[in-house]
Amino acid sequence: MAELSKNDEQVGTTPNVSGVEVVEARTEAEEVAALEVPVERGEPILQVRNLVKHFPLTQGILFKKSVGAVKAVDGISFDLYQGETLGIVGESGCGKSTVARLLMNLERATAGEIFYKGQDITRLSGKALKAVRRNIQMVFQDPYTSLNPRMTVGDIIGEPFEIHPEVAPKGDRRKKVQDLLDVVGLNPEYINRYPHQFSGGQRQRIGIARGLALNPEIIICDEPVSALDVSVQAQVINLMEGLQNEFNLSYLFIAHDLSIVRHISDRVGVMYLGKMAEIGTDAQIYDHPTHPYTQALLSAVPVPDPEARANRERIILTGDVPSPANPPSGCRFRTRCWKAQDKCAEEVPLLAVPERFKDSDTPAAHESACHFAEEKDVVHAA
Amino acid sequence: MLLDVHDLHVEFHTRDGVARAVNGVSYGVDEGETLAVLGESGSGKSVTAQAIMGILDVPPGRITGGEVIFKGRDLLPLKEEQRRKVRGAEMAMIFQDALSSLNPVLSVGDQLGEMFTVHRGMSKKDARAKAVELMDRVRIPAARERVRQYPHQFSGGMRQRIMIAMALALEPALIIADEPTTALDVTVQAQVMELLAELQREYRMGLILITHDLGVVADVADRIAVMYAGRIVESAPVHDIYKAPAHPYTRGLLDSIPRLDQKGRELYAIKGLPPNLMDIPPGCAFHPRCPMARDVCRTDEPPLYEVTESETDRGSACHFWRECLHG
Repeated sequence: MAELSKNDEQVGTTPNVSGVEVVEARTEAEEVAALEVPVERGEPILQVRNLVKHFPLTQGILFKKSVGAVKAVDGISFDLYQGETLGIVGESGCGKSTVARLLMNLERATAGEIFYKGQDITRLSGKALKAVRRNIQMVFQDPYTSLNPRMTVGDIIGEPFEIHPEVAPKGDRRKKVQDLLDVVGLNPEYINRYPHQFSGGQRQRIGIARGLALNPEIIICDEPVSALDVSVQAQVINLMEGLQNEFNLSYLFIAHDLSIVRHISDRVGVMYLGKMAEIGTDAQIYDHPTHPYTQALLSAVPVPDPEARANRERIILTGDVPSPANPPSGCRFRTRCWKAQDKCAEEVPLLAVPERFKDSDTPAAHESACHFAEEKDVVHAA
Repeated sequence: MLLDVHDLHVEFHTRDGVARAVNGVSYGVDEGETLAVLGESGSGKSVTAQAIMGILDVPPGRITGGEVIFKGRDLLPLKEEQRRKVRGAEMAMIFQDALSSLNPVLSVGDQLGEMFTVHRGMSKKDARAKAVELMDRVRIPAARERVRQYPHQFSGGMRQRIMIAMALALEPALIIADEPTTALDVTVQAQVMELLAELQREYRMGLILITHDLGVVADVADRIAVMYAGRIVESAPVHDIYKAPAHPYTRGLLDSIPRLDQKGRELYAIKGLPPNLMDIPPGCAFHPRCPMARDVCRTDEPPLYEVTESETDRGSACHFWRECLHG
């Protein structure tokens, strides 16, 4: 338990805490009304502050006793602007999917806040929470397990209307589902078919149609194309970009394929072991990375050009990602970092624009959580 | 030629009909050479590998024609007993999913040691020592202690190293790696691919790398065979194919990789879906998705034409390979 409180302290010192215009709503009706206010393009629609999720590790069957915690997400802060795509990259276990589940309110945060239009959704309940959920939807990774095999496509896409009947009155629903099928490029006559009658790419379109059903403002996409074949991935990415323009959506796009993330994202955040290592525009992150982990990640991606084989300096990291139940002290990347010094074990580096770049307008001047942030030339795929 | 697959045909008999998974595949690998077999799911790349290894599920699978000539003799007519002597000792396979390929109730030392007790008749003690040596070889730290541990106690990257160690155990002449790094993270993938390439150079093994990742292929392959609907549609040295593909399917795959100068624009996408193997389109199987298709493509199945304009050994199964090459 002592370790937990120590971590909370570290979280509290992040400089990002400010900058949120909190809406003070007293009654449920006020809360719901505040959620209906539209956000201008380019203004923050979702603001995450010091978000923490620890999963307790227990021992024993009858008398469960807590023996520690998996620190899946350990104090991250970022903004999502209206109309943009924020890409989140990182390796398995870095907490990116937990972030998605927290934003969806599918998990209760251990600490921290998620402000949606100025209201902390981790504290909402009842009608206000229901309204938030309508506006933040999700597209899942696996189009095979995320669709109920016993339901027809019409029932799957129409199910959100059962919970939010105000969006489409009963008589209208069939028409609405057919429109959605058309929007995602499927034949509206397929409404009575079952998921197994579709290919992987088509199923993912069904998942996207379901996500769109309630006219949400934000769609959280957790690895939406990684289960698809290469030739089909491009089709789905194009569809998602088209829908974003058509319906004025904001995307949080979680993926591990760095070239796809660069293609679709306006800004990119790099996560490592429950922390945000670096965040900036796509050009800042890909062409001017200052965090050693970002540099290693970019250099590890195979370049689809055999001519690049010879003149490529690769950073091959040693070892595996440490366990999030027992992360290293100080900087979490230090156990695999070639620049690590004593300071890295003692002090947690904060996510901030590095001091040395602060007053210049170089693209390296973006937030990076490294004591020794500097640019390095990396040949990479994207 | 170490391995020469010639006109291989494999079918699967299912309740819904006959799926023609492999329709006349020919490819070869020399010792010390890396052949990448590139294709999407259902292209027949893994089924071909299973037929070479002799681990195809029969039934429902059935090899209906062709030859698998390994070190000068055809393996297909051999009895299972003789096949088993080849498998593991002379050719070995690395699978995508190490966790489900390893036995969860045996320690990794027992599983590695089994290679030596079964194939080489070693004592358990000697086999254990060999297992430690192998784990060192694939750079698993603290091999002496970890040899007693079980698969679930290893990380994904470490488990894949154990699979590689097991494949290498008897120093086979040929290794088939079926999507060996697909389940791994990129930084770990880089470690594992580097290790595999290094060991291959050292032992001068032939390597067949089955993958769908154009990046991995560009990094390690000498030659590429591109598969579509159970056939090789293009075969060429790696540098040629990335410079100028001679088949519209290969071109489509290369064009759909997101590139920096395409940011903000639509990605190139191959239209349509991969074919149903129960009902492969007549003529060229790719014609319903092909931007260059003409009448002849709908009726005549293209053979693997020799790309005569190339100085290297290239083949393309497109009637209009010349146009594709220059287009």
